[in-house]
Amino acid sequence: MLSILAADETSGVPENPILPATYELFWGAIAFAILYLLIRYVLLPPVQRVMNDREATIQADLDAADAAKAKMASADSELADQLAGVRAEAASIIEAARGEAEAERERLIGRAEREVTAMQEVTDSELAREREEALSSLRPQVAQLAVGAASRIVNRQISVDDALPVINRQLDNPN
Amino acid sequence: MFGLEYPSIDNLVGWPTYFGDDAFWAMNKIGLISLLAMAIPTAMFLFAKRELVPTGAQNIVESIVEFIDTQVVLPAIGPEGRRYTPLLLSIFLFVFWGNIFEVIPTFHMPANARMANPAILAIIAAGVYIGVGFKYHGFAYLKDTIWPSFVPLALRPLVGLIEFLTVFIIRPFALAVRLFANMLAGHILLVTFGVLCITLWRLDALVVILPFSFTMLVLLTGFEIFVSFLQAFVFALLTAVFIDSSLHPAH
Amino acid sequence: MSVLATIATQALLAADAAEGITAADEQNIAAAAGAGMAYGLAAIGPGIGIGYLVGQAVQAMARQPEAAGTVRTNMFLGIAFTEALALIGFVVFILLKFA
Repeated sequence: MLSILAADETSGVPENPILPATYELFWGAIAFAILYLLIRYVLLPPVQRVMNDREATIQADLDAADAAKAKMASADSELADQLAGVRAEAASIIEAARGEAEAERERLIGRAEREVTAMQEVTDSELAREREEALSSLRPQVAQLAVGAASRIVNRQISVDDALPVINRQLDNPN
Repeated sequence: MFGLEYPSIDNLVGWPTYFGDDAFWAMNKIGLISLLAMAIPTAMFLFAKRELVPTGAQNIVESIVEFIDTQVVLPAIGPEGRRYTPLLLSIFLFVFWGNIFEVIPTFHMPANARMANPAILAIIAAGVYIGVGFKYHGFAYLKDTIWPSFVPLALRPLVGLIEFLTVFIIRPFALAVRLFANMLAGHILLVTFGVLCITLWRLDALVVILPFSFTMLVLLTGFEIFVSFLQAFVFALLTAVFIDSSLHPAH
Repeated sequence: MSVLATIATQALLAADAAEGITAADEQNIAAAAGAGMAYGLAAIGPGIGIGYLVGQAVQAMARQPEAAGTVRTNMFLGIAFTEALALIGFVVFILLKFA
């Protein structure tokens, strides 16, 4: 009735459905041996090589991208360095200019001060000289007066020349 | 009675030979599917172009290779397991294409619902992981298995016996039986609902149940596609795990 | 409705069986009953086990979504190991029923 499902004539099939038939073992072993040898030596190596190549290519591309990124980062930092250098240079130039101006000012002020001082010194020395002159011109008269006064007091003639050193000392070192 | 006649198991899994009746090289549907399971992945790899930007078949092939790499090799063994990628890849492809013929019309038979292919693959897997154990640990692999030094002395004979049975007998047996029984169960399930649909079609009154049965058949077909993939994945993953346990025995 | 169909089938089968049972029939009946029993019993443990396993795996994935890949791989591994018991029961069923 159900012969459409499977062949009715069963030839060479062993009684026990668990045990393998010899010719099935034979063909199975041959087929598997051929498949294994083909895959081992012919079919798999090129596929693996292509896959490894692709992996290497992808890895190389990734590495290149990483390198480019690193390069960009280094260029960025270089630019920043340059900027910093330029800024520092500008700052130093400004500083130098400021220092120069300061020095110039110092110099001018110094010169003015020196001039003022010189003028003062000149004035002072003139004053001193004039006073000196005045004093020295007065000194003989003062000595005459003092000697005259002293002669009267002691009732004795005192020579001006004898008294002059004492008077001079007294005038040079008052008190 | 109702015309309900379930086909015998021989009708479900036994196929007449195309040629060479009882010789060891006789070819039947299982042998044909085995050859197709070898030819289709080969063709797939050959059609795949080798370009930097993958297109078409190359996409599929590379997805499979990468799937084996990231889901089977790396979790189970680690980077050092890459040298077993060809074996695991061929196991995965062979099992998957052997399974998927369960839902391909005109075939409707998973090659792995016969014990032959699972047995071969399990023997190969066992040979590989036992060989790896002896290659990397020499005689110590056998000694550690049957006389494990990391358990108390009193338990060693028992644990050693269990370990020996597990490694050399139960693992390959379970590997083969898992695949075989899964595919056979799926096949019987599909046949059951297929037979039910045909039978209901012929019954006058009960034909109203047919939509339910047919829906179930469609859903199960989808489920079996998933199981085909999952069993191939599990077979490859378990092989990788066993190889790893040979590379790094528990201490 | 399918339940009704099943019951009717069973009744008809029983009627057929009552007519005359040979020793081979009895053996087949015992084997079929044993096969069903074997698979049914073999499915209990793995059923509970897989349910627990997947539940825990889902919980682990919910708690740590970043570890979902590893958890899923290990879940399939665990399912494969647990399922083997049920599948051995299924093989026993095939052996009893058909071999």
